[in-house]
Amino acid sequence: MSQQELYTSDAAKYWKEALSGKITPLWKMNVDEFESDIALKKMGKIDHKLFAETRLRMGAYGQRYDNGHRYDGKTVRNIPFPEAFKGPDTYWDAPGMQRIKLPWGGLSADQMDLFADLAEEYSDGICHITTRQAIQLHYIHIENCPSMYRRLGALGITTREACGNAVRNVSADPMTGVSPTEVFDVTPYAQAMFEFLLGHPDAQDFGRKFKIAFSGDKEGSSGLVNIHDLGLIAKMKDGKRGFEFYVGGGLGAVPYSAHLFSDFVSEDEILPLAQAVCRVYARLGEKKKRHRARIKFLVADMGFEKFRETVLEARAKLPFDPTWAAYIKDLNRLDEKPSRPAGNGVWPIAATGDAEYDFWVKTNVKQQSQAGYAAVIVTLPLGDITSNQMRDLAAICRKYIKDSVRTVVEQNLLVRWVSQNDLPAFYADLKAIGLHLPGAESILDVTACPGTDTCKLGVSSSRGLAGELRKQLAEKSTHMDDAVRNLRIKISGCFNSCSHHHIADIGFYGISRNVAGYVVPHFQMVLGGQFQHNGGTYGIGVGGIASKAVPGVVEKITGMYSQHRRPDENFHAWVERTGKATIMQSLQDIIEVPPYETDKSYYVDWGDVREYSVKDKGMGECAGEVVTLTDFGLKAADRELFEGQLRFESGDVVSAGSRAYNGMVLAAQALLKLNDIDISSNPDIVMERFTKEFHDTGVFNDPFAGPKFAQYYFQAHTHRGQGLDKDKTSLFLHEAQLFVEAAHSCYARMSMADASTSSATV
Amino acid sequence: MNLQNIQWKIHLADGSAPNVHEWFKALGTWIPDSPEVFVDVADYSHVQDGPVIFLSGHNVAYSLDGTGRRLGLLYERRQPAEGSNAEKLNESFTSTLQHAALLEADGTFKNKPKFLVGDVKFFVNNRGIAPNKDATFATLKPELEALLNKVYGAGAYTLTREPDTRQRFTVHVKAKAAVSVAEALKKLA
Ligand code: SF4
Repeated sequence: MSQQELYTSDAAKYWKEALSGKITPLWKMNVDEFESDIALKKMGKIDHKLFAETRLRMGAYGQRYDNGHRYDGKTVRNIPFPEAFKGPDTYWDAPGMQRIKLPWGGLSADQMDLFADLAEEYSDGICHITTRQAIQLHYIHIENCPSMYRRLGALGITTREACGNAVRNVSADPMTGVSPTEVFDVTPYAQAMFEFLLGHPDAQDFGRKFKIAFSGDKEGSSGLVNIHDLGLIAKMKDGKRGFEFYVGGGLGAVPYSAHLFSDFVSEDEILPLAQAVCRVYARLGEKKKRHRARIKFLVADMGFEKFRETVLEARAKLPFDPTWAAYIKDLNRLDEKPSRPAGNGVWPIAATGDAEYDFWVKTNVKQQSQAGYAAVIVTLPLGDITSNQMRDLAAICRKYIKDSVRTVVEQNLLVRWVSQNDLPAFYADLKAIGLHLPGAESILDVTACPGTDTCKLGVSSSRGLAGELRKQLAEKSTHMDDAVRNLRIKISGCFNSCSHHHIADIGFYGISRNVAGYVVPHFQMVLGGQFQHNGGTYGIGVGGIASKAVPGVVEKITGMYSQHRRPDENFHAWVERTGKATIMQSLQDIIEVPPYETDKSYYVDWGDVREYSVKDKGMGECAGEVVTLTDFGLKAADRELFEGQLRFESGDVVSAGSRAYNGMVLAAQALLKLNDIDISSNPDIVMERFTKEFHDTGVFNDPFAGPKFAQYYFQAHTHRGQGLDKDKTSLFLHEAQLFVEAAHSCYARMSMADASTSSATV
Repeated sequence: MNLQNIQWKIHLADGSAPNVHEWFKALGTWIPDSPEVFVDVADYSHVQDGPVIFLSGHNVAYSLDGTGRRLGLLYERRQPAEGSNAEKLNESFTSTLQHAALLEADGTFKNKPKFLVGDVKFFVNNRGIAPNKDATFATLKPELEALLNKVYGAGAYTLTREPDTRQRFTVHVKAKAAVSVAEALKKLA
C-alpha cells in the first residue's frame, strides 16, 4: 500500500487533482507536505508532539474531549475512540477545530460560499467568527484538512500559521478605508505585513504566538492596537504616510498595555522594523516557560528602553531586502469600489416610522467617508452563522456591493459600500434570512469565546452565559438608556481573555468555586475596561459571581449606572467614582449562592444540562453546614485582595501591594489547612510548605497552565508587594488575583477527586 | 460512485414544535448510553436555517436540524463507510429510523416528537464525489429507488432533486401515503 492510498479518499483525490493549478506553488507544497505528514503519522513515523506542532501551524487545533474523557454530570467517562493519536493525549479521531485566518478580515462573496460549503461538509454547518477576525470551524476530522486547505487555497486563503508559535492573523480595523475619522486606509499595509512575515525565517522560532494589528484611527476601537504584541496606528507627518509603532501589549491572564516604540515610522520602514522586532523576540524571548514567553514579558524583563535599543541595533544590521518597500508602488490594488449608485448622502438617516427598521439603522448602520454609502454590521449572535445563511448573505452581497465584506473583532460581519438608497431593501433581504438583528456594538452584542463548548481550557460556559444575557437584554433593548445600551460585555471561558474581557465595560472570565462541598461555575467580574482608544484601558477584577447570578448582576449594575451616573459620565469613570466596594456591597443580596438542596440550577452551567460537579455527600441535609477551614481561608484571601484593590484605587500603592501579597499567603495557607489545620501563618513557613506540598507534588498545577500561578506567588514572596511602582502594582494585583483563583480551582479539583473516590468506593 | 457522507433527514410533523432544551437533554443522554461513539452536544438555537441541537459523534452525528426552514432529525455519516452502496443506504436509513424511534419514545419530551417518514430528504454531503447535478442524480437514482421501493412500495413516492446547485446533493422523497417509523423499520428489516 502506498502512502497516498493510506489516507486519500475519492473526494480528497478529486480536490487534489481539480485544484492543483489553482493554488500558489508554496501553499500547494505546504498542503502536500502536510498530507504526507498525516500519512507518516498514521504509519507511526512521526511522534505525537511533532505532529501536534505540525498541525497547529496549519491551524488545526484540538478540541474539548479530545483526550477521550468527558464528565457526564456524575462521573468522568471514557469516549471510546480508536487507539490512535494526533498529539500527546489527543485522539486521532477526536473532532478538532480549524482556524482559518483572514488578513484584515477581508472576505469575498466567493469565499463566503466556500466557507458555507466547508462548514457543511467538514464541520457542523456553522461558521464561527473569532475575536481576531478569523473564522473557525469545529468538529473537523484531521484527515479532511488537506482537502479543506486546497479548497481554501484555490480562493487565495492560507491557514498556515493560523496557530502555533507564529505570527497569527494580521488584523485591522474593519472600517478602514471607509471610516470618516481615520488618517488613511491601512488595508494595504496590513496585507503587506501579512505577506512579508508569512513563513519569514525571522518569525519561525518564537516561544509563543505573535499578534499584529493595524488601526487607521487612534481614538477608534476595532484596531485594538494597545492589546497586541505589535500594533500600528496610521499617522501623517510632513505630508508623508507612516505609523505610530507599538510593541509589547497583550491580554491573557495579566494584561499589559503596549509601549509606544516610535511615534512615527515611515511606510517604507514598517516591514524592516517589524522584522527586527521578530528577530529580537525569536532570539531573546523565553522558550521554555510558556507562561513567560510572550513578547510583553521580554519587554518587561529587559526594560523597555533596553528592548528598544536592541531592536534598533538589530534593525541596523538587517541585510537590505527589496520587498520591504516594494508593495508601496501598488498601494491601491486592494481598493474597493461600489457596485451601486450613491445615495443622497444625508446623515443621520431619517427615521421612517418603522420602529424595527429605524432601530436597526441606529445600531447597525455606519456612515462611510464616501458620501451616500453606508457600512452595515450584520450581527451574528455568538459569532455564529449557518452555512445557508452564509450562502444567502453571499448572494445578497453580490446584489448590492462588490467584494467588500470584513469580519469584525466583535464577531460580526461588516458589509461595506451599501448605497444609502438600498438600505431598506438590504434590510428586507437580511430579514428574510434571519440576519437583521439590531444592537450591533451595544450591550446586546455580547462577545464570547468558545469556552466550555469546545475549548479545552474553558472553565465556565461563556457562550451559554452570553446567549442568556443576549436573550434577556434584547427584551429591554429598545427602551434602554443610550448610555447603558452603548456598554460592551465580553465573556471569556477562562483567564486567557480570548473574548478581550479586560477591555469590556463589563467583562467576565470563567472560574470555579467550591460552595459547601460542591463545585459551582462562576465568573470573575472585571469592570471598567475600555474598548475605545484601541483598547486603551484595562478593567480590574471585582469579585467572583456564580454563573447563574450574572444576569441579575448585570441588570443591577447597569441600573445603578443609569440611575446614578453624572451627565456624560462614562462607565469607566462611574466605576472609579463609585468604587468597587460600593458596587459589590449593592450586589450582596443577589450573589449569594443558594444551597444545593434549595436551588440545584446554580450547580449546572448555562447551556448545559449536566451538573457542573457532584460531591457524593451521602446525606443531603447538612450540606449547608459543611464549611471547612479552607473555605474560610480562601474567603479571607478574597477579602484581602479586594481590600488591596480598593487601596490601589485610592492611590495607596504601598498598602495595595502588601494586601495583595497577604491575600496570596492566605490562599496558600488555606490550602495547607487541608493537610494541617495548625499551619503557621508565618509567610516563610507558608511558602516553604506550599512549595513542598502543593507545588513540588504538582497538586497546585493548573491542568493547562501548569505551575504558572504558583510562580506568581514565588515571585511575590521575593518582593512581598513592596517597592513596586503604580504600573507594577497594577500587574501584581492581577497576578495575586490569578493565584487566589488558582487556589480556589485547586481546592475545587481536590474536592471533585474526593467525590469521585468516595462514589467509586460506595 | 463509492457513496460516502450520506445524510438523511426525517422531517418533524407540523405542530410538534420542539423544546430545544428537551432535545439538548435527550440527545445528551445518547453520549454515555449508546454503543455509538458520541462526543458532545451543542446548542445552536440562536441561529437560523441550520443545526439547532447538534450531537457530534465519531462515525455518525445526529441533530435536530432546521436547515431549509424545516425541522427534522438529521443523520450524518462522518467517517468512510464500508460495503456496497445498497448496504450503505440501507444501514444509514435504518439507523436514522431507529434513532427517530428512540426519540418518539423518549420520556424527556413533554410533547413527543412525531416524524414524517413519508417526507424525507436524502443528501450526499460531499461535493467532491457528488455535485448537486442531474448526472449525480441519474447515477444514484436506481440505488436509491431500490431502497425506497422496500419502504414505500414502487411508484408510491416521488423523488425531486434540489435545483439549487450551490446546495449539497439533495433529493426530496415524498411518499403518497403516511408511513410510521415502526412500519418503515419493519420493511427494511
Ligand atoms: S479564553 Fe479560555 S476558554 Fe475562552 S477560548 Fe480562550 S482559552 Fe478557551
